[in-house]
Amino acid sequence: MKKHILSSLAWAVTALVATAAPKPATLLNVSYDPTREFYVQYNEAFARYWQAKTGQKVTIQQSHGGSGKQSRSVIDGLPGDVVTLALAYDVDAIAQKGKLLPTDWQKRLPNNSSPYTSTIVFLVRKGNPKGIKDWDDLAKPGVAVIPANPKTSGAARWTYLAAWGYALTKNNGDQNKAKDFVATFYHNVPVFDSGARGATTTFIQRGIGDVLVGWENEAYLALKEHGSDKYEIVNPSQSILAEPPVALVEKVARRKGNEAVAKAYLDYLYSDAGQELAAKNFYRPRNEAIAKKYEQQFPKLKLITIDEAFGGWQKAQRTHFVDGGVFDEIQKGNK
Amino acid sequence: MKINRWMAIAALLSAQAGYVLAEDQSDELRQLKQQLLELDQKVKVLERNKELETEAASAKAQTAPSLSLGAGGLHVSTADTNFTLKIRGYVQADSRFFLGENEGVKGNDTFLLRRVRPIFEGTVWKDFDYRLMLDFASGVTSGNGNNGFLQDGYINFRHWDEAQLQIGKMKEPVGLERLQSGANLLFIERGLPTQLVPNRDVGVQLHGKLWGNTIAYQAGYFNGVEDGGSGDVEVSDDGKDLAGRVFVHPFDKTDIEPLKKLGLGISGTHGSHVGTLRNYATGGQQTWFRWRTGAGTAAAPNVTADGSVTRFSPQGYYYWGPFGLFGEYVVASHEVTRRAGGPGNVTKDTFRNASWQVAASYYLTGEDNSFGPVAPKHPFTLGGDGWGAWEIAVRYGQLSIDEDAFPNYAAANSPREAREWAVGLNWHLNRNVKASLNYIHTDFEKGSTTRGEVTADDERAILARVQFSF
Repeated sequence: MKKHILSSLAWAVTALVATAAPKPATLLNVSYDPTREFYVQYNEAFARYWQAKTGQKVTIQQSHGGSGKQSRSVIDGLPGDVVTLALAYDVDAIAQKGKLLPTDWQKRLPNNSSPYTSTIVFLVRKGNPKGIKDWDDLAKPGVAVIPANPKTSGAARWTYLAAWGYALTKNNGDQNKAKDFVATFYHNVPVFDSGARGATTTFIQRGIGDVLVGWENEAYLALKEHGSDKYEIVNPSQSILAEPPVALVEKVARRKGNEAVAKAYLDYLYSDAGQELAAKNFYRPRNEAIAKKYEQQFPKLKLITIDEAFGGWQKAQRTHFVDGGVFDEIQKGNK
Repeated sequence: MKINRWMAIAALLSAQAGYVLAEDQSDELRQLKQQLLELDQKVKVLERNKELETEAASAKAQTAPSLSLGAGGLHVSTADTNFTLKIRGYVQADSRFFLGENEGVKGNDTFLLRRVRPIFEGTVWKDFDYRLMLDFASGVTSGNGNNGFLQDGYINFRHWDEAQLQIGKMKEPVGLERLQSGANLLFIERGLPTQLVPNRDVGVQLHGKLWGNTIAYQAGYFNGVEDGGSGDVEVSDDGKDLAGRVFVHPFDKTDIEPLKKLGLGISGTHGSHVGTLRNYATGGQQTWFRWRTGAGTAAAPNVTADGSVTRFSPQGYYYWGPFGLFGEYVVASHEVTRRAGGPGNVTKDTFRNASWQVAASYYLTGEDNSFGPVAPKHPFTLGGDGWGAWEIAVRYGQLSIDEDAFPNYAAANSPREAREWAVGLNWHLNRNVKASLNYIHTDFEKGSTTRGEVTADDERAILARVQFSF
């Protein structure tokens, strides 16, 4: 009898626990182009961590594309719980046009809501047949340069600004000379992909061009996947500090009942485990100890910042990338 | 020795010439190789740009609005389906012929357009559905309390399937057959119980589905209309109707295939109504029962609705393979006043009229029977193998008037009861065209003895219809 009561009790407790187990959650991370590999690993790590911590199973879906394009998709209704985009302007657009998160979103997480940084480097074919060493070499006749399209890609906007910044430094702040330099640079572009991953495909899979200009992490990934016997990285004398931001899309996450898990998902990027994974995927970690651990991997570069050189993203966007902006003028002149 | 020297010079010159030639050829080769590489790059660039153009066109197509035209009508949608518009509708061209001795005295044999209904429906801002259904059929009028040209006009907030809010003019959720679309009816005219339930009314309705299709519910607050009536605006009183319905498919989520399409429900209304009472019609659409209407004098008493109205209707259907069965029972209770002169000649009473029907059908061509539309397995093609879907149907029903309504409240010679049986044949040529032929026989208990009146003899009507719907 006693045994019967005990087993009934055990059954009841099990049933109660089973009933009390939190409902599984599904998050959507809307990200930019070359973060696929990183977030595949990160999602697995976070799901394990979250289930151990709360008992809740979480599945994270990923959506990737050019950062600007992804931002527009979220504004148009793509139900991302979090966005992990290439630049702050694209998240600002979601806050301002989509009104899906507060306009001060950048203050919600440490380091301007950028858990890792990156920069813009060159990837050339082995032996560097065109002898490319710095930005000037990309503007020489006969050099085919492969960046993505700044109208749609975050990496491409960073690239554009890095080139402009270099020309400004070299010409003592002369904006006209910087514009001429950037125009010559884009004159050498035979193919415009909408995203950084597409540009990598153009350069590597399609064998087009002499130099791929884009994310440092994407260049290292190309070396890792396609062999350092085929390609090599060239670090220019000056580049730009790229701070890819992350943010909680509050209204969407709240509507889907995912607010807590989505917030934890972003917080975990700042954890040691998250920072390690970022470094392993060639993003420069913010955590100083982990950055030191991987310092051999990331050469020290002279980096300008968007705030110093361009007065922030809003101003840079208005000046260079809006319809009818400087980039459009340059492209019109190059046709 | 001299010769050797000349030979040596010749050999030297020859070697020099060969070297120069080789150098020329090597330069040429280098140039050719360079040209080849440049051409290769140009071809690759052209191919890649073409590839990107195709990708961009494909991406644009995914975000471009879609437009489709087919058996379901014209459908326009934004890529994200947050905004949609469907244009569809149906037209019913009928003929109605009466057999028997009273032919030509009762309802006229006639061709008519029974329903001519364009439908505009869709979604705005993802969660807001709308529907506008008009009717330009024969005899449709716009009256004081109802614009017959406007059948449906409502907006439905559908963020959750489980709880939706619908506001506007719509069917009140009561009669089973009334809730079936006019385009999907088994018989050309609905059965007798539909005479006792409201048609369309203006109000607000909370409705939804729970556990998939297992439970459907509706709860509404409406102006209130007379039996079988429709209304746009309240013109006779301030009273309102509460209407509700629960319909369950208890086996929907099970694997018991024969019972999955068993549906059972219960519905009702409660409210108050003042004003005209509705008369009741046969399958041939002839009025067989009238309330007394007159000047309100002793010689010509007048009977009107004057108080509470309550309706109650258990209902159900069952479909399995080609077989279908549905039935409903309706009891409608009305508080009425009879005025036959001065204040002393005003009497008030409550009457309960009841009606029921059972209808069965079977697809001879094996299609799955259902409450909704049918898609023929082999649409009809002239000279081809397809013969469309053929369906036979039979129905029996009756409507009984409260005995206490006689003789003072019911018009003279009104019968106590109408009993109807009907057989039908439906030929669904394809999803859009249907032809129907019905024989409807109605007999009356204690009908008129005056020759030529509707109820003096059994009504034997042959109804035919060709319907085009899309």
